[in-house]
Amino acid sequence: MKIALAIASSIVLIIHGIVFYSQSSHGWMQHQEAYIAEAQNKATNDAERNELASRRPRLEQIIATQFGEPRVDRCVSCHVAVDDPRFVGHAQPLRAHPYSKELGDSYENGRWERRHKFTDFGCTVCHDGQGRGLDSFYAHGEDRYWPEPLIGYVAQAEWNEKYRQPLRGKDYMEANCAQCHASGDSVSMPHLERGRRLFFEKNCYGCHRIDDLSEGALGPDLSEVGKKWKLDYLWESLVDPRANTPVSFMPKFNLRDDEVKSLVIFLKSRRGTNPAQTSLQRYRARAGRSAAAGQAPVLQADLPEDPVARGEVLVRDRACAACHKLGNQDGGIAPDLSFEGLMKDTQWISDHFRDPRRLVPDSIMPSFRFSEPEFDAMTLYLTSLRTPPALGDSAEIYRTLCARCHGANGDGTGPVALYLDPAPRDLTKAGFMNSKDPARFVRSILDGVPGTAMPGWKGVLGQEQAQAVLDYVWSSFVREPRRDAKKRSVPETNPVVSTAESIARGKQIFVQRCTGCHGLKADGKGPNSIDILPRPRNLRNGPFINATDDRRLLESILYGVQGTAMPPWIDYGLTANDAGDLLNFIRSFQTRR
Amino acid sequence: MSQGIVEIVSGVEHKGAVDRRSVLSWLSGLALFGSGVISLVSDFVFIKPRATYGQPSRFSIGRPDAYPPGTRMAIDGRRVCVVRDGDQVAAISTTCTHLGCIVGVAETGFACPCHGSRFDQDGTVTGGPAPRSLPWFKVNLAPNGDLEVDANAEVSPGTYLTV
Repeated sequence: MKIALAIASSIVLIIHGIVFYSQSSHGWMQHQEAYIAEAQNKATNDAERNELASRRPRLEQIIATQFGEPRVDRCVSCHVAVDDPRFVGHAQPLRAHPYSKELGDSYENGRWERRHKFTDFGCTVCHDGQGRGLDSFYAHGEDRYWPEPLIGYVAQAEWNEKYRQPLRGKDYMEANCAQCHASGDSVSMPHLERGRRLFFEKNCYGCHRIDDLSEGALGPDLSEVGKKWKLDYLWESLVDPRANTPVSFMPKFNLRDDEVKSLVIFLKSRRGTNPAQTSLQRYRARAGRSAAAGQAPVLQADLPEDPVARGEVLVRDRACAACHKLGNQDGGIAPDLSFEGLMKDTQWISDHFRDPRRLVPDSIMPSFRFSEPEFDAMTLYLTSLRTPPALGDSAEIYRTLCARCHGANGDGTGPVALYLDPAPRDLTKAGFMNSKDPARFVRSILDGVPGTAMPGWKGVLGQEQAQAVLDYVWSSFVREPRRDAKKRSVPETNPVVSTAESIARGKQIFVQRCTGCHGLKADGKGPNSIDILPRPRNLRNGPFINATDDRRLLESILYGVQGTAMPPWIDYGLTANDAGDLLNFIRSFQTRR
Repeated sequence: MSQGIVEIVSGVEHKGAVDRRSVLSWLSGLALFGSGVISLVSDFVFIKPRATYGQPSRFSIGRPDAYPPGTRMAIDGRRVCVVRDGDQVAAISTTCTHLGCIVGVAETGFACPCHGSRFDQDGTVTGGPAPRSLPWFKVNLAPNGDLEVDANAEVSPGTYLTV
């Protein structure tokens, strides 16, 4: 018993001692002692030596209050020699901050004068990190990339391994310079300026809002994106938008690594208010901004007088080709505009510019906020693109016109298919191809399918060419021999008059039978929809529903859509009158507005 | 370890001076007492804060050239008045020793706006409720050539740094 007590109390004593020692002896104390000893050696006169001899280690801190939120930077507790020119090039942590003309430091009378005095600016405003941290773990982490100048809020060692390599180097410092130094300042920030240009050239501005720069509303506001995210996250979001947000519809732009780097630097610099601005300056800037409403243009170039030429400059300047194909430029994300004048009329282009989702409800094209004359000029330019593409045999027609969406193998996975909703039809599915009348396919090719990305090709293709393409699809892609579509007895028009009672009955049937896939809102996003390809139709797609006749919709309900998950409901006891009620319900979305 | 203790204790026992039980009691007593002392000391250490709020007490006031001879310049926010006389520099506190107001700097000395204390050019009290003269702070030349004032280190009035 006594032995146990003796051992226990000894252990308590040892633990106490260890805790006491670790709490009273700090890394920064040792660094300061090392500094004092070394400075003693470097001292040139007795006064200096006496001054050093009287110094004891103590917590040093810089409190920067002159701009923005007050910062408490205790970095100088360890990096105590940071402003001592004798320690330039010394081993860390006792290295003096380098002097450099790039940072605005001046060399006069054999002595450097700093532009950014540490007593005024502190450390973390440029270097990030946690200024209050008193050991390296809390201040900047055990960093394997030390001594890269940018520390980052959390240690780089925790960064995504995949994107870590390109995230090294002094260039990223520009993002921190740009917090205060506005563009057009004398400070040279080449990567940042390039990133800002790319933000427009890659049409990021169309979806994303940034204070003072852009008005996009489809994607997240990026005004403070640099405050929220680390460099590796920004990099990942640019090169693989769905990595963190699986439902993101942000396209994967074709960016080179150096372009991603510039964009990351630009985005990291977006941290809300400029701490160097006074509140009066900020207020004035905001007041001036509201006067100049609308989208900031990419270029401030002089526009030609001729409306078509002006439209061409605008279309180029607004970076339409960041997504669309236009001549030899191809963004690889959206349809080809090279002969748009043959495909769409002025009214359609003009309406689509102003609100793409009125004509194609699930389009991801941003609603740009250009001025009316700009829209008109761009519409005129697109309408003027009437040079038909060079077309040869049906295989070449398919390659030139169809493969961009439907894919080289006809399976509906063309390069831009990922960004189209509804997705392009999979033409290899024999069940679907054999269940429809060929005349319907020719009609779809020539007139297009309203409410989807399928345009009417009749400006480019004649009746025979359309038939030839259809034959080509059949012979090359469809895996089964061609059969004649079964004749089905479907009423030509809706047998039930659209009344409130009929719509109520339709709604009840819809809730019982359809919501699993088409969703309670009938927007095609029901709980089962994620497992189904092609996705269930969005029944709120007004242009599609309005343009499709009763017969076709009733046939789809009663006999199903072969090659998709839509079952023939007639087999499950649905009568033609029930289908009529459903149809009235579905059509009621459009009339109700 | 206990084996070792037992051996030592048994060795001692032969001499008859202390037995094993009392050695163990002494050992536990000493360890507990030691822990108590360390706890007490750490309590007192804890009372004194490691970092204080507000501006640091040792601060740079810029190049000596910024203060031409004859300057008497108060630095707002730092609560010191930099005095330069020829090539001699000193820093005098501008915190009134009465209730801590910031004293104004005049040609003839310092004057407190709160309760009318007056000080001469060296900070010695010449009138009013102030109980003590204004302290002088230590000034030294930092390695980068800036003047550095240490508001924690008082020096006797009339101590100048020659630059």
